[in-house]
Amino acid sequence: MSGRECDDALTNLYQYLDREIEITSVEQIRAHLDDCSGCLRSFDFESRLRIVVRERLSEEVPFEFIERLREALARESSTPL
Amino acid sequence: MIGQGFDSPLRLAGIGTSGWRLFRISLSGRYRAVMADQADFERDAMQFTRQLYSAAMRMTRNPSDAEDLVQETYLKAYRAYHTFEEGTNLKAWLYRILTNTYINKYRKEARRPSEVDLGSVEDLYLYRRIGSEESAEAARTTEDRVLDGLVESDIKKAVEDLPENFRLPVLLADLEGFSYKEIAEILDVPIGTVMSRLHRGRKAMQKSLWEFAVKRGLVPEGAERP
Repeated sequence: MSGRECDDALTNLYQYLDREIEITSVEQIRAHLDDCSGCLRSFDFESRLRIVVRERLSEEVPFEFIERLREALARESSTPL
Repeated sequence: MIGQGFDSPLRLAGIGTSGWRLFRISLSGRYRAVMADQADFERDAMQFTRQLYSAAMRMTRNPSDAEDLVQETYLKAYRAYHTFEEGTNLKAWLYRILTNTYINKYRKEARRPSEVDLGSVEDLYLYRRIGSEESAEAARTTEDRVLDGLVESDIKKAVEDLPENFRLPVLLADLEGFSYKEIAEILDVPIGTVMSRLHRGRKAMQKSLWEFAVKRGLVPEGAERP
């Protein structure tokens, strides 16, 4: 990766992936990605990594815990504040 | 009901409500906010148990504390539910209670922010280290192997090892997909701080993911992108 456009794209990469970037910058980045396979590959990698991280951080909630939680809420609602 | 937030149970529980109250203006020009009904709490809030529990696991690092934390969050939220304004962001409201409860009760680290040692960690750290293969295809194979081969425990450990002031923004953004603004409100820090902590936290995470990838033999010896 080289060049000013690549530097600009990289600077905006995380905000782009976080959807926190203004629409004009999004269009600029997309136009750059159409022309630059190096940046496209790095953007693609980062976005796949995001998905992997999100999927593998998720936990199954133990069923017994949900039961206990509902019971605790039921107790709470029968107690006057 | 205007201004009642300052005496609300949420406030008394140490959870400030400023910034959460977005009053709608009715046609008559008067401010009006519709408060949630406690009877609807289970119906509205129970759908977030998996997300809150997942975040709580990464915060407390063990199932028993995570359960306590989530339960306490739900009880506090239930008690304060009549102060929650319908139509505003319930998920973010629950997360604010979760993180405040965690910070007040479970945090053992010092209150002052700690740093991550990033040394010479640059942007795209993992990507740049993954492959120097001649062909794009070979590099792509290595990328796939790393993304497939990093197991749940690696990724969880990489997040859990982050100092708390970096871990919370990373969790809120990368696990939950909250916006910078929502994270700023949940954690009560400026948006600029959210952005810099996210940036540094993610870099630190990539550094440890790289170490896991090497340990698991997912990358060729001495492979680094030029």
